[in-house]
Amino acid sequence: MRWVDAAGVRVRRLLFGDEIEQRMDEEFRFHLEMEAERLVREAGVDPREARRRARARFGSVEAQKDAVRDARSGWAWMSGLQLGRDVRDAIRSLARRPAFTAVAILSLALGIGANSAVFSLVNAVILRDSPIERPEEVVNLYLHQASFEFGSLSHPDFEDVRDGTAEVFSGIAASHFVPLAIDRGEGGGVGLAPAEAVTGSYFPMLGIEAAVGRTLLPSDDVSRGGHPVVMLDYRYWQSAFAGDPDVAGREMRVGGRAYTVIGVGPPDFAGTVRGLTPTFYVPYMMAEELNGSPLFDERGNRSLFVKARLRPDVTLPQAEAAAGTVAAQLTQDRLENWDPAGRFALLPLTDVLLFPPLDRYVRGAAWLLMVVVGLVLLLACTNLASFLVARALDRRKEVAVRLALGASRWSLVRRLLIETTLLGLLAGGAGVGLAVWLLDLLVTADLPLPTPVTLDLRPDGNVLAFTFGVSVVAGALLGLLPAQQSTRPDVAGALRSESAGGGQPGQLRWRNALVVTQLTISLVLLVGAGLFLRSFQQAQAVDPGIGREPAALLTFLTPANRFTPDDARVYTRRLLDRFRALPGVEAVGAISNLHLNPLSQRTSDFNVDGFEPPTDHGAFIADRVEVEPGFFEAAGVEIVRGRNFDDADRPDTRPVVIVSEAMARRFWTDGDAVGRLVKRRGDGPPWLVVGVASDANVRTLGESPRNLIYLPYSQRFTPALTVVARTSIDPERTALALLTAGRELDPDLRVVETKTMDRHLALMRLPQRLSAFVLSAFGVLALALAAVGLYGVVSYGVARRTREIGIRKALGADGSRIVGLLVAGGLKLVIIGGALGLALAVVATRLLGGLLFEVDALDPLTFVGVPLVLGAAALLAAWVPARRASRVSPMVALRTD
Amino acid sequence: MSRGPDDLRGSLDLVILKTLSLAPMHGWGIGQRIRQMSSEVLDINQGSLYPALQRLEKQRLIGSDWGTTDNNRRARYYRLTPSGRRALGDEIDSWQRFAEGLGAVLRST
Repeated sequence: MRWVDAAGVRVRRLLFGDEIEQRMDEEFRFHLEMEAERLVREAGVDPREARRRARARFGSVEAQKDAVRDARSGWAWMSGLQLGRDVRDAIRSLARRPAFTAVAILSLALGIGANSAVFSLVNAVILRDSPIERPEEVVNLYLHQASFEFGSLSHPDFEDVRDGTAEVFSGIAASHFVPLAIDRGEGGGVGLAPAEAVTGSYFPMLGIEAAVGRTLLPSDDVSRGGHPVVMLDYRYWQSAFAGDPDVAGREMRVGGRAYTVIGVGPPDFAGTVRGLTPTFYVPYMMAEELNGSPLFDERGNRSLFVKARLRPDVTLPQAEAAAGTVAAQLTQDRLENWDPAGRFALLPLTDVLLFPPLDRYVRGAAWLLMVVVGLVLLLACTNLASFLVARALDRRKEVAVRLALGASRWSLVRRLLIETTLLGLLAGGAGVGLAVWLLDLLVTADLPLPTPVTLDLRPDGNVLAFTFGVSVVAGALLGLLPAQQSTRPDVAGALRSESAGGGQPGQLRWRNALVVTQLTISLVLLVGAGLFLRSFQQAQAVDPGIGREPAALLTFLTPANRFTPDDARVYTRRLLDRFRALPGVEAVGAISNLHLNPLSQRTSDFNVDGFEPPTDHGAFIADRVEVEPGFFEAAGVEIVRGRNFDDADRPDTRPVVIVSEAMARRFWTDGDAVGRLVKRRGDGPPWLVVGVASDANVRTLGESPRNLIYLPYSQRFTPALTVVARTSIDPERTALALLTAGRELDPDLRVVETKTMDRHLALMRLPQRLSAFVLSAFGVLALALAAVGLYGVVSYGVARRTREIGIRKALGADGSRIVGLLVAGGLKLVIIGGALGLALAVVATRLLGGLLFEVDALDPLTFVGVPLVLGAAALLAAWVPARRASRVSPMVALRTD
Repeated sequence: MSRGPDDLRGSLDLVILKTLSLAPMHGWGIGQRIRQMSSEVLDINQGSLYPALQRLEKQRLIGSDWGTTDNNRRARYYRLTPSGRRALGDEIDSWQRFAEGLGAVLRST
């Protein structure tokens, strides 16, 4: 520990300067010499003895120094000297017990690391500031309709709002999401690179400056399709262009056209939706070309997210009034595709996390996670506190002696607190490392999300400050209880007793309470984990009715500006034929909107003869998809009656449909649906049902079968198609083969996404999977901590009652009875903790009701199974040390103490 | 008369100030002189001497400098500052009044 002393000296010099320390050394040496000389002179002792007596009279030089330092600094403890000494003592004390210290740091680090990781997430999603200039002035503008409160705007909507609000907004801008698939290169497979088409006003309005080159400007956004320029996101610039400082002027291919790079965004700007960072930005005037569908003139095509900056003297209600005037005018003009009940809703940017309808869940999930990790940390703390209380009780005699000798209670408490706070800080350091590792796992985890999530999870000042705070608080909390226990000023009592070694149940009360708390918390967490595991199991067991066999998916666009519908159909047929020839591919088909896509749903109104139209809507509603005939075989949907579409179904022949079994059963109860008519709303000729397809989930997993109408692609064109390729080889490889083959046929093929069917379906099970994983991890951790806690209590009880056990054995009690006695003591705690936990779980799981999948919040299997698991683990934890006691030899036990 | 729990500390400070009012002196010498002046009655605890000196210096009642002793040794000499002299006067008055009062009480009955 020499380095500790050396460090102490250094700290002291830093705080007080060399001069004071040297002065004390010299002054005391002088004093001792003078005193020794006086003794020689007056008492006639020999010089050596004189020096000894002088020293004895003077007392400890170090103590004197401390006293002087205290006198200097007024508030002695904060002087840093005392603190320095206490810290040194604490380090020594921890170093003396490396095993305890390691376990303590490890278990605290688990708790703190979990907190730190979750806080990093919360920080990245909720707290971190965006680099937008004066964000409090910026508002999001949504189209508020009866059907949806936070809708996006069409381009004509945007132009009308822009022109009608110039007096209240100093700037207004729109962005449009452009999904693009990219090759991740060697071994990386295929990924989605979301890009954003933004109006020229976007970056100037937000106040974002380029890191390299320049941002997109209004002059880049003037003529339709006339500005093939691109601004890169900072991260994409780093990964795809290796941070080339001369990137401005280089070319890259986007959607089959050469674009010129004009600049790179700043590193701290990651788009305006957290978690969705565009890889690059193009002028909005390029969006129609890239998207392949008419955007600029159709009011019904709504895909713009609008942001505006309030003029400095304008309030939100004033801006709302101005936007309201625009909406009223649109209603008055009876414009096509304008909802007469529509209006524009304004929401301050600072009130929005991701997207208003989602924010509630994001905040809820954040809270839930914070509470769960908080509980885990509490568990870790109570566990250690319980060890420390045991140690403190064992040291009561020593502490009592010191109190009796005049040590102040505060000084003893202080030492313990410093020791545990130090533990907390050490664990905090380890916890940050653990958090970084956990977050890295999360970031690199391959989750089946529709777009890659990009969150900046590096620990920043917020995270470090949070972790530091948590560490100090955890450390201090950890020390308080043991300190309070060991220094209760019952000096006489402590000195008198305890040598007898009898159990003192009163002192165990605290430890017992801690263990009960632990058992309660872990039961609640385990019940939560159990419910989500059951949900996941249920979700896995659901047969969605499609994609039972491995298949690869590729979504592509036939851009309307390059193709007429007829040309596009020819193009699609060539593409599908090409795919059919790939090795391993067994069946290929295409569909406009594959089942179970949470991002998009399309419906059609219809009526059937003999059924009174619903009064509220005037028609029945069915989900609707366009398919190419190969789809049914490729996706595993069976034509149970009638026929599939074929080449005879052409645009100029009679419109035909295939309906789902559920729809057929519902509307043609007398028998076969084939040959019947489905009347469309409006003027079009009715659809003739030519076939009935087996039911499949359309919107959510495990839903009750829905009305679903399949329309032939040959009669009803759609620019976006998802190819389904059933395969006998690894579907990942087939997915890549699809992309390669497609690009061979047309280098500018507009691929939106490629993935496997499994991945597509996994998205629907993701909430259950993630919740089950996270809660199970924490639940198991909690159970382990609680088991260790119980083990500690029982072993401590055994150690304290060794003598009693010895006497009992000497009097003839057999081993198993003693084990039973000790285990029963532990079991009492398990039962109390279990009962409390169950009661709490019944209340807590109510809150989870909405998140569970086909599992009741009071699922009997979980509520019986979890307590059994907990009970078994607890029994084991109590039985191991109890058995040790039963082997105690009476003689040894009686000799203890 | 405001004498709190710091009675003893106060009296040690007073004795030190009084000692230094005669001439500057080093720490050991102060202890010796107090012993001599009190006819060996007050043998001050060396454990409280240096902290007391430090305290008084911090209150700017005394100052200190390095000096040399008669037999040419380097030592830290403490001396009274003007405000120390004033404080000493006040303290002596206050003590005398206290002692007189106490004496009067003890003599009665």
